[in-house]
Amino acid sequence: MKLTKRLLMTTAAAFAALGLAGPAVADKETEERQTAAAKEAVDTSKFAKEGPYTIGVSAGYLANSWVVFALQHIYWEASEHDEIEEVIVTDAAFNPTKQISDIEDLIRQDIDLLIYWPVDDAAIASVLERTVEAGIPTVQAGGGFTDNAGTVSNAYISQWRLGEMVARNLMKDLGGEGQIIAMLPIAGTTAAVDQLDALETVLEEYPDVELLSAEYGDWNRAKAKQITENLLQRFPQIDGVFSPAGQMSIGVAEAFEEAGRLEEVTMSPGDEYNGWLKWVADNGQGGAVTFPTRAGQEAVKIGLSILKGEEVTRGTAVESEYIAPEDIGEYVDQDAPDDWWSSELPEEFLPKQ
Amino acid sequence: MNALVPTRDGVRRFLSAYAIVAVLAAVFLLAVLISDAFLQPKYLFNVIRQIAPVGIAAVGVTFVMILGGVDLSIGAIISLSAVVSAVLMNGEAANLPMAIGVTCLVGMAAGAFNGIVLAFSRVSPFILTLATGIAILGITQIFSGGTARGIVSPGFREFFNYRIEGIVPVLSLAFLAAVLVGVLIQKRTLFGQYVFLTGSNRRAAILSGIPVRGVTIMAYTLSGLFGALGGLALLARSGVSSTMSGQGLEFQILAAIVLGGTTFEGGRGGVVGTLAGVLVLVIAFNIVNISGLPYHLQMVVMGLIIIAASAMYGQINARSQ
Repeated sequence: MKLTKRLLMTTAAAFAALGLAGPAVADKETEERQTAAAKEAVDTSKFAKEGPYTIGVSAGYLANSWVVFALQHIYWEASEHDEIEEVIVTDAAFNPTKQISDIEDLIRQDIDLLIYWPVDDAAIASVLERTVEAGIPTVQAGGGFTDNAGTVSNAYISQWRLGEMVARNLMKDLGGEGQIIAMLPIAGTTAAVDQLDALETVLEEYPDVELLSAEYGDWNRAKAKQITENLLQRFPQIDGVFSPAGQMSIGVAEAFEEAGRLEEVTMSPGDEYNGWLKWVADNGQGGAVTFPTRAGQEAVKIGLSILKGEEVTRGTAVESEYIAPEDIGEYVDQDAPDDWWSSELPEEFLPKQ
Repeated sequence: MNALVPTRDGVRRFLSAYAIVAVLAAVFLLAVLISDAFLQPKYLFNVIRQIAPVGIAAVGVTFVMILGGVDLSIGAIISLSAVVSAVLMNGEAANLPMAIGVTCLVGMAAGAFNGIVLAFSRVSPFILTLATGIAILGITQIFSGGTARGIVSPGFREFFNYRIEGIVPVLSLAFLAAVLVGVLIQKRTLFGQYVFLTGSNRRAAILSGIPVRGVTIMAYTLSGLFGALGGLALLARSGVSSTMSGQGLEFQILAAIVLGGTTFEGGRGGVVGTLAGVLVLVIAFNIVNISGLPYHLQMVVMGLIIIAASAMYGQINARSQ
């Protein structure tokens, strides 16, 4: 029995791991609809109150470097505002039920603002509504846009737009023709679905580019490498790789290199995962389309605006930026670990090394 | 009768001992039919390299299972080892021996903890190692602060990924060496014999003076040690990637061991079987992946291959009784 439960938990965790919140599917139409919905104004008057403020952060998980950096951005932004007295953080460690109790605990500790990223949207929908009813505004950080009743605002990152930027840069670097493969994260997550859809939408404009195969590397460097080794066997010619997740891109590139086929392939931009940036610096191709960890910082800013009764919309997009390979030098940190993210965090707020 | 003519009994005994090898041959044949990549030495050695971390750790866990126990903490030990070794290496070649040594000690300590608690109490191995695994996961998070903050020593990954004659990656040889060591321990040491005896009949083992507690502690310590080596292999294979790189591997390890003929009851099985079980799993994964089936169908077919392999193994074994 315990084995089954653990298996279910591990599977749920695997699906939730790095799979940030958001609606299940987005295509170009949904993307446009969300952008429009994000612009709707929020009535902040019912949340406005005087400081000092206590911020509660309900982290769905803190077990990967991206969310650790996002949290550090929260601490950083909080330190810049004297009216923020305290930041209380809870970690649900991939357990949706625990996240419900975490949020209830935070409410009991009289927080004034809740910032969160979910393990499972549906599981916490009702506790979030209760939080809002208690007069505490909620801001979702880092996932896709959501306009559920329990989420007052979002500091969201659009996986579709990110996928689109990566695809367009790849098309440019490929010269608009060739055969490509796609390396996506865990199948069924917002990231995987949206990125693939964005790629396919862009490919409609490039009839001379063929998508040979879309694979799911689960954000796992070793798995991405293993799958690529098989792809290299299946396809005698691969001209390009679509891989927005830098962590997997390293594995893919290594497989090409070991097969002696790195010369013939163009890598798409990855994200600002430091290990990937090091690869770009060494190989002079690929570049990055960022998946900004400063979403945490944006969430705090939005939260403060709400508490001050200022004008706020349902969602603020934390925009991805493109970094060309030749500019990567400003972003890579050769002395830092691979499992690290390029950011503007000051020294004292970086995760300990 | 001519000694060289196989007797019915002899064939039976051979089949029983090596049923999994026959299954492996069948799976391999299927693989070759799907893609001729499986006939290329370079690709085959690559496949062996892919499964090296799981395979190395599985060697250690095999002993625990022959003993009648189980080690569910092995995935966590692999994750912890990968993180600890990279942090200790800190990007310096000079730190390498120390990093590897300390990592092995950490793995052994985790294993020894499991072994000691199990030797001196009535806690079930399933529950204990499940709990230890969760605790180790927590320790890894605390130690790392959430990021896999380590930098591999220069030369470490290059050494293990180097291909001899352009074909044989050193990591695959390291895996085979670990298997060899496991086989030697199993067949040539007193400890190996004691593990089988204790696993088959604990009561009888105690009564005949076998130091059952010592054997238990040693078996779990060995499992921890091979887990640490598995973590190092994972680090060599894929570099520093995350604090949970070993998560879920315990299922693959247990599946490989059970597929290879070692059962949860204990008293039977062996490292050779585990090797074959590990290879069946990795070949099954690569068959479905290289076949180009749609992703979700890949999962279904892989499951079916494993079920078929297990059923075939059961059949051969039943016939040889």
